[in-house]
Amino acid sequence: MAITRRSFLKIAGGSALASATWQGFGCDIWKSAARRNPDIKVIPTQCQGCGANRCAVFAYVRNGRVWKIEGNPEANNNLGTVCPRGHGYIHELYDPHRIKQPLKRNESGGYEPISWEQAFSEISTQLNLIMMDNGPQSVFWLHYPMANAALGFRFMHSLGSPNIFSHGSTCFTARNAAFNATCGGLPGVDLKNSRYTIIVGRNPSGGIKLQQMKDLTYAKENGGKIVVVDPRHSETAIIADEWLPVKPGTDLALILAMLNVIIEEGLYDKDFVKKNTVGFDRLQDEIIAYPPEWAEKVCDIPKDTIYRVARELAANKPTALVHRGYHGGYGASYKNSFQTARAIAIINAVIGNYERKGGLYMPLRPELGELKEGGHPSPDIPQIPKADGSGIPGRYPAGSYSDGITHAIPELALSGELKAGIVYHSNPARTNPNPQRVIAGYKKLDLLVVIDCIMSETASMAHYVLPESFYLERDDNVDTVHSAKTGQLTMVQQVVKPLHDTKNLLEIISGLAQGVGIGRYFTFSLDDLNGYRLKPFGITLAELKEKGLISVGEPWKEGFRKAATPSGKIEIYSEKLDKWGVDPLPRWQEPLVTPDTADPHSFRLLHGKQALQTNSMTVHIPILMEASKRTDSVRLLMNRQRAAAIGLEDGDTVRLRSQIGSGNIRVRLTDGLHPSAVWLPSGFGIFSRHLTAVYGMGISYNDFCPTYFDPVVGHCMSSEIIVRVEKA
Amino acid sequence: MAEDTVKKLQKWVMVIDSTKCVQCHACTLACQNQNSLEPKEFFNRLEERESGTFPAYRRKIIPVQCQHCDEPPCVTVCPVGASYKRKDGVVMVNFETCIGCKYCILACPYSVRVVNEAEGYVHKCTFCIEFVEQGQKPACQTTCPMGVRTFGDLNDPNDPVHAILAAKRTVRLLAEMKTLPSIYYVMG
Repeated sequence: MAITRRSFLKIAGGSALASATWQGFGCDIWKSAARRNPDIKVIPTQCQGCGANRCAVFAYVRNGRVWKIEGNPEANNNLGTVCPRGHGYIHELYDPHRIKQPLKRNESGGYEPISWEQAFSEISTQLNLIMMDNGPQSVFWLHYPMANAALGFRFMHSLGSPNIFSHGSTCFTARNAAFNATCGGLPGVDLKNSRYTIIVGRNPSGGIKLQQMKDLTYAKENGGKIVVVDPRHSETAIIADEWLPVKPGTDLALILAMLNVIIEEGLYDKDFVKKNTVGFDRLQDEIIAYPPEWAEKVCDIPKDTIYRVARELAANKPTALVHRGYHGGYGASYKNSFQTARAIAIINAVIGNYERKGGLYMPLRPELGELKEGGHPSPDIPQIPKADGSGIPGRYPAGSYSDGITHAIPELALSGELKAGIVYHSNPARTNPNPQRVIAGYKKLDLLVVIDCIMSETASMAHYVLPESFYLERDDNVDTVHSAKTGQLTMVQQVVKPLHDTKNLLEIISGLAQGVGIGRYFTFSLDDLNGYRLKPFGITLAELKEKGLISVGEPWKEGFRKAATPSGKIEIYSEKLDKWGVDPLPRWQEPLVTPDTADPHSFRLLHGKQALQTNSMTVHIPILMEASKRTDSVRLLMNRQRAAAIGLEDGDTVRLRSQIGSGNIRVRLTDGLHPSAVWLPSGFGIFSRHLTAVYGMGISYNDFCPTYFDPVVGHCMSSEIIVRVEKA
Repeated sequence: MAEDTVKKLQKWVMVIDSTKCVQCHACTLACQNQNSLEPKEFFNRLEERESGTFPAYRRKIIPVQCQHCDEPPCVTVCPVGASYKRKDGVVMVNFETCIGCKYCILACPYSVRVVNEAEGYVHKCTFCIEFVEQGQKPACQTTCPMGVRTFGDLNDPNDPVHAILAAKRTVRLLAEMKTLPSIYYVMG
């Protein structure tokens, strides 16, 4: 850091720190008024430290250098607070790992700096040649979808390719598809007002959702009960009233048994079910097959507990809920994840909590203005099926157009269907399962362009690397991500001028668009675009930039509204799924793989987030990595009794082996983990040689995960991993 | 010299409700930024206490930082008077006079003092006093999504800390050392 604490305190805090016992500083430090009164600017923007929450923050710039961020108290997603990653992520601005100008891979595998003009010219020439031979659908775009996502879609649609991917198939697509099929969208959870909350697999205190953490605290202080269902005693379990250490991969059995109790005992919301759902009678017929007496043998939760928790949930209806989840548990974990998420969507319906205070609700989404209203034509949506089969009956029928199946890209590259790709703020080489396969696939591409701020594993394979300005150096698109029970507009706003020869995404896309003949779709500036987005609200860009966040529209009101499903109701029984050959009601389904109970070395490998690290994108930041090291948290968790049986002690190094990979790591023994599993924090296992300070740090669950596609949405089933664990 | 030496109206204290802490470390990082600390320097840490055997397992997280003792051993042992206690209760280190002997680090029973490697002096949590004097709360409190910390003035009968201290049983860490910390813990 350029400014030390001592020199800063001399500059800024001297007068405040002074006291009767303060002696010994010379008068010289007071001579400069500029030093005594540092130049501090406070600029509202949006944190990008995880990408999902995009918390509204105020960035403090002290004497031209970004100093800290603080949370915007009005922002729905963070309510005035900032998480550790958010604090840590600002340091990437000054990180020596930053990519400082466009890079081109040379014949020896190294990278040479080139000009933007050369990069745009060479990339567009190659794209043209590839599209001439293979059609525009041979080009794909992969992004972590944030405020700028619409620009990626616009670029690809202009080219004529439907092959746009998010990281979703490795993260949340089972959950999204299940809620789409059941209630027509992904609801929010009113944890604040819920009197009884069951959280299955989700860990907002580790995966970090500040608003949910704050809401859980509020609910608990006001007498609400929190039950955490998780094979691991998560950070959320710390504040829960009850921890149910479910056997991994059997959450579905637990939810089915709870439905059994609620339905058999007549504890459901009969009025709500009658008015707002379809197919309840069919569920009633089948649910008798799943009593708690059956479930306890499957999921390791005692039947009495299941009875009690189900009755307590129902007794608190409709101000009670089962969390809609994210990645953990059933986002993309098991073969039965889609049906687990379906069961969770349904149990919320039978207790009648949809669109009620303390229940699930469809978050408000203010409708942004569009470019076409400013005379910029929208490209047509290509009438070509997605190469991965997403959303196509007979292939992955419940998959979504916008997410696709990201971990199918390597397969599609190996088969020759995809020839060129642009990867924006995503790192499939590290975050997709089976990295050797991923690398083989991406290396087969005729052209790989990566847009990023640092040399990730994926950037390290690219033909061209285009450096995006860091979030503190750029504007992004006006964003509605904070909209929940109120509509809110926020944006990433430039806090300091770019330190290096970098560009924002629109500049990069526009630079490429000219050369590939779609320049006419990109004749606007970012300010134009944001102006159009804001127009329906009568807000100017200057106003939003000044305030950082503006609430718009009418707030959410209680009351069920027509669902975006074929019936307009919540579909307990889904005709659509039946037509696709998918179970139309959630039925018990075993996980794909099970540890060998006869082998004391056999475990299921689970993973999850720690609050200190985001995916694979923060490990190289020293202030965060030091915190991980200091807390010795880059370790494999193992149940203490299982460890004793194979002669392991806390801190031992073990070797993990699965059918596709192996690796060494130290263990931490705990009683807070189901005996059948070991648990690995995600985000580690850095193998980009450009990230010198953290190369080889930890291992990733992806190193052990075979390439799977679940049959409904094509998600990666990232917890269907059996490993053998032995002392190294 | 400065106004606060004259007023001396406040007695700053903090209540830490450890039952709310979920070990996210936002406080640690917010503090590092607030104080422009090096990655290896930190003023607060989270101690984890596990108990019980599976499945009757529990854990508790205890945030620890300078306790701003009323009988601070660090001040007693400092050979040059660099560690000192303000009349408002805040224990400080004068970086200019600190000679980096680390005697205070040995004397502190809470292990909350760190050495600045570049310049050799010892430093630690200041309750963000320079910001508190501008009407703000410490960074560890404002960043916390769980509301673990409540900082306030014991001499102000209307300060919210009184309500918590009255309603909840609190303890002070290592009370037997008779250091009389200014941080009160709700342990649950």
